[in-house]
Amino acid sequence: MRKTYLISLCFLFFLQTALAQQKNIKLISCNFQQATIAQFAADLESKSSAHFYYDPTQFDSLRVTLQITEQPLESILYAAFKNTNYHYAITSSQQVFITKGRQIKTDLAPGFITIATASNTQTSAVADYTDDKDKNVPDATTENKLYEIGTRTNTIKPGNATLSGYVRDIKSGEAVVGASIYVANTKTGVATDQFGYFTITLPRGRHTLNVRGLGMRDTRRQTVLYNDGKLIIEMQEQVNSLKEVKISADKVANVRSVELGVTRLDIKNIKQIPTAFGETDVLKVILTLPGVTSVGEATTGFNVRGGSADENLILLNGATIYNPAHFFGFFAAFNPDIVKDIELYKSSIPEKFGGRLSSVLEVTNREGNKKIFTGSAGIGLLTSRINVEGPIIKDKTSFIFGARTTYSNWLLNLLPDAYKHSSASFYDVNLDISHQINDKNNIYLSSYISNDKFKLNSDTTYSYSNKSVSLKWKHNYSTKLFSLISGGFDRYQYDINSTANPVNGYDLAFNINQSNFKADFTYYLNNKHTIDFGLNSILYNINPGTFEPLGAQSLVLPQVVAPEQALESALYLGDKYDVSTNFSISAGVRFNIYNYLGPQTVDNYAPNLPREPGNVLDSTAFSKGHIINTYAAPDIRLSARYLLNDNLSVKAGYNTLHQYIHLLSNSTSISPTDVYKLSDPNIKPESGDQVSLGLFQNAKQNTIEMSVEVYYKRLRNYLDYKSGAVLLLNQHIEQDVINTKGKAYGAEFLLKKTAGKLNGWISYTYSRTFLKQDDPNAGELINEGNWYPANYDKPHSFNFTGNYRFTHRYSVSLDVAYSTGRPITLPIAKYEYAGSERVFYSDRNAYRIPDYFRSDFSINIEGNHRVHQKTHNSWTVGVYNLTGRQNAYSTFFTEQSGVISGYKLSIFASPIPFINYNIRF
Amino acid sequence: MRNPEKLILIAMIIISCKKPYDPPVVNSNSNYLVVEGQINTGSDSTVIKLSRTVNISNKFTLNPELDAVVTVESDQNASFQLTGTGGGYYVSAGLNLDNTRKYRLRIKTANEIYHSDFVAVANSPAIDTVSSTFENDGVRFYVSTHDPNNNTHYYRWDYRETWIIHSNYYSFYKSNGDSVIDRNLMNDEVYQCWRSDTASGINIASSSHLHKDVISNNPVTFVSSASEKLSAKYSIVAAQSAPTNSAYSILVRQYALTADAYTFWANLKKNTELLGSIFDAQPSQLKGNIHSETSPPEPVIGYISAGTVTSKRIFIKNQDVPAGWASPPAFSNCKLDTLFLSWYAPGATVPLNQENEYFNYNKGNLYKNRLIPVVAIWNQQLGTIIGHTGSTPECVDCTLRGTNKQPDFWR
Repeated sequence: MRKTYLISLCFLFFLQTALAQQKNIKLISCNFQQATIAQFAADLESKSSAHFYYDPTQFDSLRVTLQITEQPLESILYAAFKNTNYHYAITSSQQVFITKGRQIKTDLAPGFITIATASNTQTSAVADYTDDKDKNVPDATTENKLYEIGTRTNTIKPGNATLSGYVRDIKSGEAVVGASIYVANTKTGVATDQFGYFTITLPRGRHTLNVRGLGMRDTRRQTVLYNDGKLIIEMQEQVNSLKEVKISADKVANVRSVELGVTRLDIKNIKQIPTAFGETDVLKVILTLPGVTSVGEATTGFNVRGGSADENLILLNGATIYNPAHFFGFFAAFNPDIVKDIELYKSSIPEKFGGRLSSVLEVTNREGNKKIFTGSAGIGLLTSRINVEGPIIKDKTSFIFGARTTYSNWLLNLLPDAYKHSSASFYDVNLDISHQINDKNNIYLSSYISNDKFKLNSDTTYSYSNKSVSLKWKHNYSTKLFSLISGGFDRYQYDINSTANPVNGYDLAFNINQSNFKADFTYYLNNKHTIDFGLNSILYNINPGTFEPLGAQSLVLPQVVAPEQALESALYLGDKYDVSTNFSISAGVRFNIYNYLGPQTVDNYAPNLPREPGNVLDSTAFSKGHIINTYAAPDIRLSARYLLNDNLSVKAGYNTLHQYIHLLSNSTSISPTDVYKLSDPNIKPESGDQVSLGLFQNAKQNTIEMSVEVYYKRLRNYLDYKSGAVLLLNQHIEQDVINTKGKAYGAEFLLKKTAGKLNGWISYTYSRTFLKQDDPNAGELINEGNWYPANYDKPHSFNFTGNYRFTHRYSVSLDVAYSTGRPITLPIAKYEYAGSERVFYSDRNAYRIPDYFRSDFSINIEGNHRVHQKTHNSWTVGVYNLTGRQNAYSTFFTEQSGVISGYKLSIFASPIPFINYNIRF
Repeated sequence: MRNPEKLILIAMIIISCKKPYDPPVVNSNSNYLVVEGQINTGSDSTVIKLSRTVNISNKFTLNPELDAVVTVESDQNASFQLTGTGGGYYVSAGLNLDNTRKYRLRIKTANEIYHSDFVAVANSPAIDTVSSTFENDGVRFYVSTHDPNNNTHYYRWDYRETWIIHSNYYSFYKSNGDSVIDRNLMNDEVYQCWRSDTASGINIASSSHLHKDVISNNPVTFVSSASEKLSAKYSIVAAQSAPTNSAYSILVRQYALTADAYTFWANLKKNTELLGSIFDAQPSQLKGNIHSETSPPEPVIGYISAGTVTSKRIFIKNQDVPAGWASPPAFSNCKLDTLFLSWYAPGATVPLNQENEYFNYNKGNLYKNRLIPVVAIWNQQLGTIIGHTGSTPECVDCTLRGTNKQPDFWR
């Protein structure tokens, strides 16, 4: 296209001028393909007597593509520079001057045609001759355009300048989070933050920015950096590709980032992983990553590097979600149509996060489309969902709304009579609004509610709910400093009631409320230092349990466990320091201050004696707002990366963490009746530290990523329970819990292929987790005070997740998971007691259940890919647990009619087919 | 339903499955003492059962501890010895102990001495009612009680059920070994018997969370409509199937527990009965109140309480049992054979006395598995009995499964 255009121009010119000049002018043939000015000049000099004069720095972005046969030199030059900001002049002695912006007059003759240079502004394109005027392909335009940043100067001053700006989706105007901007010649790079904002300090001069974003088409920007300035980069979505597995936004991040153990997954990756019932599950996907194991099938609890399920901080747009599951764990409580991506931190946890020992899982919702109204809907076997988004004020304010509900009652109606009167329902609703006040100020409002209700045989009703609302204000003070200030309120509650026996009719309620305030600042000091600092504060208000009569006949004695209050605050400061191009350090400290607040009555126990009722000396009553006790401790976060070569780096990290809120649960998985307990004078905060080391390598143009990470972790004051502990409505919970120590270590191997028809990842993890309870004051020793494997100690774990794309419309996904069976306490002897055979159990967790293996398969069929059609639809058909292996969820021994038998409980014990239909409008 | 363990997940029931599981054979040489019973401080007898644990892979569980010396001791050094009655049982007649003192059990085996902790006496209040509710598929029994002193709070129940069973055939005859004779139907009837069974589960409840020390309608047991337990009305003897006759009886015994004892029983129940649903707690170690004096770390299983026991009995009458429930016979593959005193096998010239071969256990040697005669075969022309019908013992003799002596409490 471009070539023919130029040739035809040449031809026209030839007609006008060639005849007149042909006598004394040498005719030249040339063929340039993306030739530089040097190549261009050298070739023409060799074919003519001309000498070229030019300043190479002005022409470094020039590429000439031209094919001309038998033309005079001037025609060639005319054709090459027509309609560009470049000018030529030929003197009579065949000296050719090529200039940019202004033309050299070779003589004083008036009337020499000057080409208008009015468009010579700082942002104008200079290489316009390669500019394709067809605006349907805007990316081609922008990629070749040279952006001039800052006030233009004739000579580029030495030193550095800061470039900042946003990366946005060209279609929706939505921020592209985690996009990487990499500058090849300085080997530096940054990633955009949650608002798509980036800032990078570079030497002044010419740079090519390579921009990569998750689910976006790679792009680049040519810039000349004169001074500090801004650049908005718009990226195109990869519309015509079926979901391509990419684990990380940044193909080079694997090797280059300072962090270890950080994984980001885009919703597109998540959607192609087969799940039971075909419901896209934001949480299940992280179970395929190394170092993450499942608490159990059909539950959303997960263990990260030997931590228990409550040691994961789960954030949805910054709001803490205490129960991220629907239907007791069948589904994640996050709407996949709203979620943009998830990020899991298991080792290098940024200073701004704290309060949990094992990991932080950040779920981020999309911003609404700022340009047009769109939406989508999905229909599955058990749930259906809808989402609508669009501008409120075009390009400034947008909203996104998502809702999901279940119609699983049909499933319950298929049950035997005994369960006919059961019912189950859940829903979740998201509404997020984002508004751009001006260049420097943005506000974001997020709200979320999820609700579950379950009734068993008209008897007991269970319900639980998460609610949260938050407001964030982002302010840019300068290109180097910006802040994000947010406030919010999160609540988790559950309620259980029953009137089956009128005399015992009861209503049990629990709730946890937290008000958050966060002020996070990021300061880009220079190209070597990025400083994060801020303040976080959470005010907890927990009602640990109210047990009240329900119904007129109920004799239930109201019981209320006194509400608990606490303030958890933290100040943090962190610096990412690029010592050299090869060596980077990220170091930070987070200082935690935890205040347990009144009103509260606290029992005082005799020192050095077990916390038992008999050892209570007295109790102290504290008034409202009184600080009962304070725990203060610094968290240290360190990580470093050394680049051995362009594709190989070694990283190391050390971090410490503290946790002040504890989940009380002695069952296998998180159940909806578990309660949370705050640290108090008798229950110390949990603490842990971890050291990790990793080797990261990329191969084949960064399409293959490999990593090996090893870690060693210690846990202190981890809560375990005395045999037969009562956790619910316990007024003296400290008497039923035991402090234990933990240690975990492991090695994680990951191999990813991020591009091509076949993509996916394979991971293998070797990990061990042990607990030890040797506190002589505990009153009872588990396994005589020796180390014993934790419930979730699974030494070997293997995962394969792969996707093969046949065409743009058809692809297949396969998921394979294997892990060692969970430890179990097995019966070792039997006896008769109370009319039955009964069993005597071994030491805790001395044996294991059979190994776990599962494979899932799905076929994704996309509708046609015409961009301009009213709706896009897609189908997903698949089978969960393809081999139908009856994996043991648990094994147990129980008396039935006076005889002890061993049983194995399996969930999803046969292949489960599923189908899902999605529509986008 | 305050415990998460009770949470049953319906959805999981549909798609989950429970399969038998044989663990790797765990061969420990465990041989721990198991102590069961209660020091009865009232006028009832005290029965203590001693046994030992066996390996999980053992075929039999029963492993009684014989020849131990078992004594009840008070905190004032009084002691009362129990007498071994065989099978690991040690019994004493009513001890009538002082309720204000504490008591413990001392066990001396061949090699070791064991003690329970001293326990306070917890006397059970009277049972208010034992009630029954007929549901579509069976009958459920409930117990209600209260302590007017608001002092008991923790309760345990067990029960003993007794019900009438019938044989398939009403036998009018029996064999004395040599010949078939008339059966004495007054005291040797083997058509109707009484069968008994005891509770096999742990049943405990607490009123500690209520205003008053009241237990209302705590479920005790459930008798399925398909069970033989309510089938008495199907008797072929009119008098026995009378609507006002009792078919079934249950005696519920109530024990008062201390909070500590309640924890033990709850734990035992949790560890051996309530496992298998999704949110169940992991099994935990069982801590009783009996310790070895000789080697303290050795586990001893059991919890000794002291106190009196109260009980209450109710009956279910034939007329209460809905039509269509529990049809006998229990042994549906029963059949009657006809056996003659003089029978010519095809082609035989010498007759065979089939009764000798089948009924008279001192005679005949063709058939090892004897039958029991049921009714006579009368030859009207000859005016004599020429043979009897007969069936296998389990089809005729109910005393194989129960007793044909009416229990004293039956009415």
